[in-house]
Amino acid sequence: MNPNRSFIVQLQILTKRMLLRVIRRPLAELPNLIISAFFLFVYDGALGGVFGGNASGTPFDFAKGNFINFILPVSIVSASLSGAASGIYLVEDIESGVFKRYQSMPISRWAIILAPMNVGALRVLLQSGLMLFIGIIIGADPVVGSIGYLVVLSIAFIWGMGFAGYSVAAGVKSGSSQGAQAATFLFFPAIFLAPTFVPREALKGWLETAAAYNPTTYVIEAMRAVMVDGWELDVLFRGYLAAGLFAALTLTLAVLSARKATEKA
Amino acid sequence: MLAVDVKNIKKTFISKQDTVEAVKDVSFQVKQGEIFGLLGPNGAGKSTTILMITTLLSITDGKASVLGIDVATKDKEVREKIGVALQDTGLDNLLTGKELFFTTCRLWGYSKKDSEVRTDELLELVGLTEAADRRVKTYSGGMKRRLDLGLSLVHSPKILFLDEPTTGLDPGSRRVLWDEIKRLRDNGVTIILTTQYLEEADELADRIAIIDEGLVVAEGTSDELKAGIGGDVITFAFENNVDLENAKNILKNTVQEKNELRITVEDGASKIPGYLKDLSSKGVEVSSVSASKPTLDDVFLEVTGYRLEGSEDIKQAKEESKR
Repeated sequence: MNPNRSFIVQLQILTKRMLLRVIRRPLAELPNLIISAFFLFVYDGALGGVFGGNASGTPFDFAKGNFINFILPVSIVSASLSGAASGIYLVEDIESGVFKRYQSMPISRWAIILAPMNVGALRVLLQSGLMLFIGIIIGADPVVGSIGYLVVLSIAFIWGMGFAGYSVAAGVKSGSSQGAQAATFLFFPAIFLAPTFVPREALKGWLETAAAYNPTTYVIEAMRAVMVDGWELDVLFRGYLAAGLFAALTLTLAVLSARKATEKA
Repeated sequence: MLAVDVKNIKKTFISKQDTVEAVKDVSFQVKQGEIFGLLGPNGAGKSTTILMITTLLSITDGKASVLGIDVATKDKEVREKIGVALQDTGLDNLLTGKELFFTTCRLWGYSKKDSEVRTDELLELVGLTEAADRRVKTYSGGMKRRLDLGLSLVHSPKILFLDEPTTGLDPGSRRVLWDEIKRLRDNGVTIILTTQYLEEADELADRIAIIDEGLVVAEGTSDELKAGIGGDVITFAFENNVDLENAKNILKNTVQEKNELRITVEDGASKIPGYLKDLSSKGVEVSSVSASKPTLDDVFLEVTGYRLEGSEDIKQAKEESKR
């Protein structure tokens, strides 16, 4: 027996254990999935008729004839927020004392903290992937071809990890799973203070200003670029940059708060 | 080499609101292969002391070592040598007992194959083989404590820390756990346990340190502590307060406990007739009298000024004893 296992092996074991927990609570996965699918179907049903094929040749033809392509990024962004479960997983372990048990063993504290983030990342990929799959079934067809799906998924992953970091920082700071859960409140301004239903040019007044400062705007616009408009590299760059900066900021906050939480009192 | 050596450790928690000295000055030594009990009420500083020695809490002042390894500077090395089952260490209720053992074995460095073997060994050791595939949330309190104990034994530690291992358990489950703890000691494991049960300390611990308000107020074997009081305890019971108050003025050096007065003297049985004569000559009626060897409860009363067992509100008892 060698207690000085490598960090990677410890992380694998703890991630597997965390996955088991997720599998044992399948219903916990449903709310975010349902909300994301709800956005896709309801918005397509309500607005697809106006801004879809019928808008061809009018000033409202921003979806270029396929409203699913236009609205799918909103559902993907919504699905990517499932990364916020990382904070809840971690705080549940703190509340139950499991975190303390692992701390009493000679294993890396970073493995203890990264395991729920790994599972959060997997959740983001699965939920975003599932939304993409539903989108494809009901008619999504990226203008840049199938590689567009990979672009959308990669941006969603970075964005989702940003929410994972945010929820870990909020959860550890509040010290309760309710605190981590409450952090998902950010979902509403993130989604709705953005060009969710129409392009940014069509927004006006305070909403136009708010959307300009909301990083979600650039994430959605980058996804829409490959789905609707083609390879607009400046838009893609801004999308990756917004998601990347958000993730870097929140993951730094997560590391700082987690470091404090694992320090001896 | 000592299993545990604790020298004048202190723990002060400082917050914006106030400063709390949870452990004021605790020193003790534990020899290898013995069960050492830290006895005291809730809030005495027992758990904080254990958390410091097990490297989960920093030490404000003083020194502690485990098998000669300093806990403050070499925490990882210490963790490899010890097993802990603390009030603060929880169980994952969504996993089965078997999964918990297997995961813990893997984290301690066992290969997958060895983890399976060790898991089966430990499940049998703590009597959970039949419940192995049930989720922990379906376990009774006693089963959870046995699982907790088993998890602390995965890496066959030489030193085991148990924080109130039987609190909340029914007498039957408590007895099962006691037998297991004694068996571990007989197999050479050093055990440091905290308890607020006098019977548990008396039954299990080879040596006991009584902790009160963050200080070790007495230390020794159960017999040494009892002998330290000296003599026998005579207990007088009274039916009314008038007799009780009058008796207090007649008998010297008594300790009151509800409607009883206790007095510790050498050769108690022979002195009872004299005391009764004194009391009846002054018209004091005694409802019952008995002489017995001191119990740990008497020791606790002697060194702290209040009783541990039956004290529902210890703080109130302390305040009363100080008055």
